[in-house]
Amino acid sequence: MKDDVFIVGDEAITPLGLGSQLNFRHVVDGHTAVTEISDLQLADQPIYAARIDEAHWVGNIKDEHRYTRLEKLFILVLASLIAEYEIPLDERTLVVLATTKGNVSLLHNPLRTFAEERVHISTMTNEIQRYFGFKSQIIPLSNACISGSLAISVARRLLQYDTRYKRAIVIGGDELSKFIVSGFHAFQALADGHCRPFDRDRKGLNLGEAVAAVYLSKIPTNDAVWIAGVGSHNDANHISGPSRTGEGLYQSIQEAMQEAGEPALDFISAHGTATSYNDEMEAIALQRSGLSTTPLHSLKAYYGHTLGASGLLETILGIHSLKNNRLIPSRGFMHQGTSQRLNMITKSTQLPLNSFLKTASGFGGCNIATIFQKV
Amino acid sequence: MEKHQYHIQSYCRIRGCAIQINGKPFFNLVPSVPIGDFLKSAYRHLNIDYPKFHKMDGLCKAIFIAVELMALESGPYQRDTALIFSNRSSSHLSDSRHATGIFDTINPVASPSTFVYTLPNIAMGEISIRHQLQSENVFFIFDSYLPEFLVPFTASMLEDGKAGSVLCGWTEITAETCDLLLYHVGISTGPLHNVEQLKRLYNEEDE
Repeated sequence: MKDDVFIVGDEAITPLGLGSQLNFRHVVDGHTAVTEISDLQLADQPIYAARIDEAHWVGNIKDEHRYTRLEKLFILVLASLIAEYEIPLDERTLVVLATTKGNVSLLHNPLRTFAEERVHISTMTNEIQRYFGFKSQIIPLSNACISGSLAISVARRLLQYDTRYKRAIVIGGDELSKFIVSGFHAFQALADGHCRPFDRDRKGLNLGEAVAAVYLSKIPTNDAVWIAGVGSHNDANHISGPSRTGEGLYQSIQEAMQEAGEPALDFISAHGTATSYNDEMEAIALQRSGLSTTPLHSLKAYYGHTLGASGLLETILGIHSLKNNRLIPSRGFMHQGTSQRLNMITKSTQLPLNSFLKTASGFGGCNIATIFQKV
Repeated sequence: MEKHQYHIQSYCRIRGCAIQINGKPFFNLVPSVPIGDFLKSAYRHLNIDYPKFHKMDGLCKAIFIAVELMALESGPYQRDTALIFSNRSSSHLSDSRHATGIFDTINPVASPSTFVYTLPNIAMGEISIRHQLQSENVFFIFDSYLPEFLVPFTASMLEDGKAGSVLCGWTEITAETCDLLLYHVGISTGPLHNVEQLKRLYNEEDE
């Protein structure tokens, strides 16, 4: 028998603040971090995006000047998580780090103040490793927009099969940069206002930034959440467009449901980027999975697309939704906008919640589905 | 917890301007040839027609060639062949091209066809399309080739029953270096899948 793995702690920093409980309160109150930003260091034109205000977190980090902006965010979240849950930093603690682009903002940037070598994800990770003195080597992965969710799955599998590890920290993060903004702009994927996931009038995504972390253990606590099932499948269809049949996501959901023992799902935290193709693909995959009537939200209109952090951040908010027995509404949705109907959550209803499905999809045709259940 | 013994069903190494499949030379050019030209020549030597190859960046091209050669030895790959790749520089070749474009002082430009390759897992997407693999993909970033991590992780994926076999390895491709070792792990015959063996295959001297 494989050991069960549980999420026993979480932490996040977003433009709405530091603290996962605080972030949950903000989203149920309907607050969004997305706003119009005019900054020539990000884009030549104003964009709708969500950015963390640096001024709030200076002073908490030792030798702060030695770290890049993103490294400071990683350090801040890790320090908070480790302190709150008294996590030992010995060789029994696995650390998995997810990021799509790490310190890429430094690359060829005439305004950079760090050596360009720091652009390498492993170099960044080594700085974080040294700061905390973790005994086991941090394992970084970079798998497009499923990175955060995939890192949970990787850590879970290592806890199940590798007897060296007893517990794991899984952390994911990405920051806004000209590199990212210019690329999504070139793809014509950016909305010219607040994004509207699954809505008829959706016109693209907003970009955001966050760092989010979970603490995994084989020993459940009273309010632990069980990682009941995971499935991850590639579409094998197109490198930059989702499958028209939602095949990879459909297979991912099937596998996760099977592993979890086909539980009744109380809600779905979808990827829901608010691009035309992504949301349509998800609606098809969910319809094929028989989940069209399960209450569903996308959290992208609160935070924008936080790339490598999104799977983790949205999982954490889903967990707080379970613990508080309160659904989070899908901000930005007004009119049915996909060929297959979905049961969009429009009100922050209080009701008993036991399990949810988190999905994510990304460039390269990758997809992942994870099922979380209260213990 | 490892219950089964797995085997390296085939392996491919590309280093400098030399390609070996299962330890035997397949193609090589003098080391001074630029990597782009070398990969294009190697593709011609494969004698296949796959126009998408020419759109790929260097990372994808090198991986494509290696996976193509291994398919001749231990393929065709089943749909549940998982991909576990790793390198140090992620998608640095395309990252650098995209960043050069956007910070150009005279004519800043961002191209979608470059930007799409600024993720290392795109190479796994390309391989999945070519060989119709609808499997799990993970791209790890390490300082150097790390069989001590890859071997137990690959074994756990096979033990988990989520994959029938795994294409795995190290794929470090930059403007200056080409250092790739990919191998196909499964239950068929071949050298044993363990850390010592994989260190040996990586360090093997050219014939």
